[in-house]
Amino acid sequence: MSNILEVKNIHSFINQYHILQNVDFVVPQGSITALLGRNGAGKTTTLKSILGLASVRQGSVIFNGREVQGMPPYEIAALGIGFVPEHRAIFRDLSVEENLKIAERSKGDLDRKREFIFNLFPDLKKFLNLRGTELSGGQQQMLAIARALVADNSLLLIDEPSEGLAPVIIEHMINVIRQLSERITVVLVEQNFLVASKLAEYFVIIEEGKSVEAGLMKDLEADKAMIHRYLGAA
Amino acid sequence: MKTTLRKNSKAIIILVVIAAFLFVAARGMSGKDVIITVLRGFSIGSVTFLVAAGFSLIFGLLDVLNLSQGTLYMIGAYVGWTVYVRPDTFVDVLTPILLILAGFSLSSLWERFAKRIQLGAKPQKIAAWVMILVGFGLLALILTRYPIASWDLNNYSQSPITYSYMADQGMPIIPAEAVFQKISPFVAVIGILVTSSLSAFSIALLNSGTATTETANWRKYFVPGVLVLVGVLALVFNARITSWMYGMNSNWLFVIAILVSVISGVGLGALMETTLIRPLYSRPIYQLMLTLGLGTIGVQIVQAVWGRPEFVLPKPALFTGTGGVCPATNLADLFENHCSTILLLGGRVRVYDEIFIPIVGIIVLIVVWILLKRSRIGMIIRAGVQDRQMVEALGINVRRVFTLVFALGVGLAAFGGALAAPSSGLTPMMGEKLLLSALIALAIGGLTSFPGAALGSLLVGLIQQFMIKYGQIGIPLPFTDAVFKPSPPLVPASTVLLMVIVLLILPGGLLGTKE
Ligand SMILES: Nc1ncnc2c1ncn2[C@@H]1O[C@H](COP(=O)(O)OP(=O)(O)OP(=O)(O)O)[C@@H](O)[C@H]1O
Ligand SMILES: [Mg+2]
Repeated sequence: MSNILEVKNIHSFINQYHILQNVDFVVPQGSITALLGRNGAGKTTTLKSILGLASVRQGSVIFNGREVQGMPPYEIAALGIGFVPEHRAIFRDLSVEENLKIAERSKGDLDRKREFIFNLFPDLKKFLNLRGTELSGGQQQMLAIARALVADNSLLLIDEPSEGLAPVIIEHMINVIRQLSERITVVLVEQNFLVASKLAEYFVIIEEGKSVEAGLMKDLEADKAMIHRYLGAA
Repeated sequence: MKTTLRKNSKAIIILVVIAAFLFVAARGMSGKDVIITVLRGFSIGSVTFLVAAGFSLIFGLLDVLNLSQGTLYMIGAYVGWTVYVRPDTFVDVLTPILLILAGFSLSSLWERFAKRIQLGAKPQKIAAWVMILVGFGLLALILTRYPIASWDLNNYSQSPITYSYMADQGMPIIPAEAVFQKISPFVAVIGILVTSSLSAFSIALLNSGTATTETANWRKYFVPGVLVLVGVLALVFNARITSWMYGMNSNWLFVIAILVSVISGVGLGALMETTLIRPLYSRPIYQLMLTLGLGTIGVQIVQAVWGRPEFVLPKPALFTGTGGVCPATNLADLFENHCSTILLLGGRVRVYDEIFIPIVGIIVLIVVWILLKRSRIGMIIRAGVQDRQMVEALGINVRRVFTLVFALGVGLAAFGGALAAPSSGLTPMMGEKLLLSALIALAIGGLTSFPGAALGSLLVGLIQQFMIKYGQIGIPLPFTDAVFKPSPPLVPASTVLLMVIVLLILPGGLLGTKE
């Protein structure tokens, strides 16, 4: 199986702070890969580095066989990466429909994907004319994922989708992401180990800005000591 | 019903307070004074709005406080004046400007060449700087020899004041043509193209490390080609275009003047953003100093070119009819005789100042509003105001939208200047006062709120005008015989007072969003 994404020994900066100090992992095509680690470990910064939103000063990021490190974020994203950020970043002054529409990369994207998106998230269809931030937290998370699906992306970067959601909604979310992973490769940042282990095939652990462990999720699940060491009580 | 009431409770309270305020303010006046004061308030409000809206769009999306906005408003007025009163100068200037733009707009081609050149970092830098100096030096040399018909600040009979006055009297002076003496037209055209290209190329060489790769296509050569073509045509038919413009119906000439000043504003804005503002996005303080400095330099340049004294931009024929049935009392008379004034409730209202300007202001409000609400660019602007990174992460080139918004914002200010000039007159200082009003208006309305800019500007305009009017007629103080006449310095002070009151109650401004 080939790797859709290779993150090679990157060092990243946010402003003058040296945040990632050697993060290294690969994402096989068609998989779900979970980035795990404690608060402040550097998971979000890793996703931002892939997209060029944090400045990568060393190492390289290869997406679909192409070096993207140093390209502006909009060009990287346009190669086919969808981003579902922490805290959702729904546009307050845009309606639900516009929040989707703005993600179009070519005319008609949304119309082509409408059915697919509303099959996944029937709720959104009812609230198309509401403002993005008038939705509930769960609906906003759905919208954030839907927004990343409007354009033809081959990789989704999803940051803490279960954050602050009720268990039922989390269940729905898990189903959705599992369904999606049949057509799109997913990199998932997840604090909730149960959610991560249900979904992901592979894992990467990040600790203090370094990638320290990586492998098959089922091996990690069996290794209680490692879970305890890096993620606290599981 | 109840929920809509609750949802819009803030808007309703604001409207009620404003209405109550206007009612009280109007009580001490006769009907005709009220009408005139309110219309003038709308007029000043409209002009303030054009500057404020541009400022707020730029600040909202780019986080740049463009303190040169007032100066750009003034420049808009002077450009408009030049096209309207001295079309010969305008036509003369057109050719070199278009040629310089053509040279620079080949920048992507230059970048490609620059990438091929591998000299090592240091020699490349030195070579680039040498070429920049040579390029701009030669360009300056050619431009000083280039014939441009102009006015003479030291000779009253050939000063802008005289040209304006005579044009206003309907007897425009047609000055002598500028002729090629110190340089041949052929050398001038080729020289400008070559030197500006050289300068652009060496700038590309300086930046070649950071320039982004863009694929070339025919459009890249289309724009410079058109610029050269139009520039050369303007040179060949210079005399004919000039005499055509002098003989033109003043209404159309006025429309052209406004258009040219808007286009100049848009161009200046794009140029400022791409060259000066862009390198400083990570250093907001420097940016602030830069816009402030540019504003001051702009004032100096305008003083040097057009002089310090005030003059007017004559109104076009559509607004200058007098005698007979004027001031008009009905629409038919107004349209037939193009009256300069009409009678409303017994008060004389100037059509251009107090009717036309507010109408244009409202039209611009609606057009920009539709642009923001209905177009894709508008959607990107609204989203970008909140979260630029997320917009970029969707694959949108936000930088390009930045340039566009900056250009649009400056274009609005220039439009405001050209529109206000026939009513307010032109002085190099006209921008300062207006920038201050615009800033106060934005603080009142909400810094990044577009409707807030409109509401704030209107309130500032109304308050100013009511204070001016009360300065003339006086406010009878209750329980005494004394009459209080607000003195002129109280006019700006009153708007500041309103700002303070609003900010104490609503720190985000009337329609601002809470951060
Ligand atoms: N803008 C910033 N300026 C300075 N430091 C920052 C900034 N953003 C993040 N950091 C620091 O970088 C480190 C990694 O942050 P990051 O957001 O990537 O962590 P994370 O693993 O996503 O954590 P969480 O699980 O809490 O979301 C943290 O120590 C954080 O304090
Ligand atoms: Mg995070």
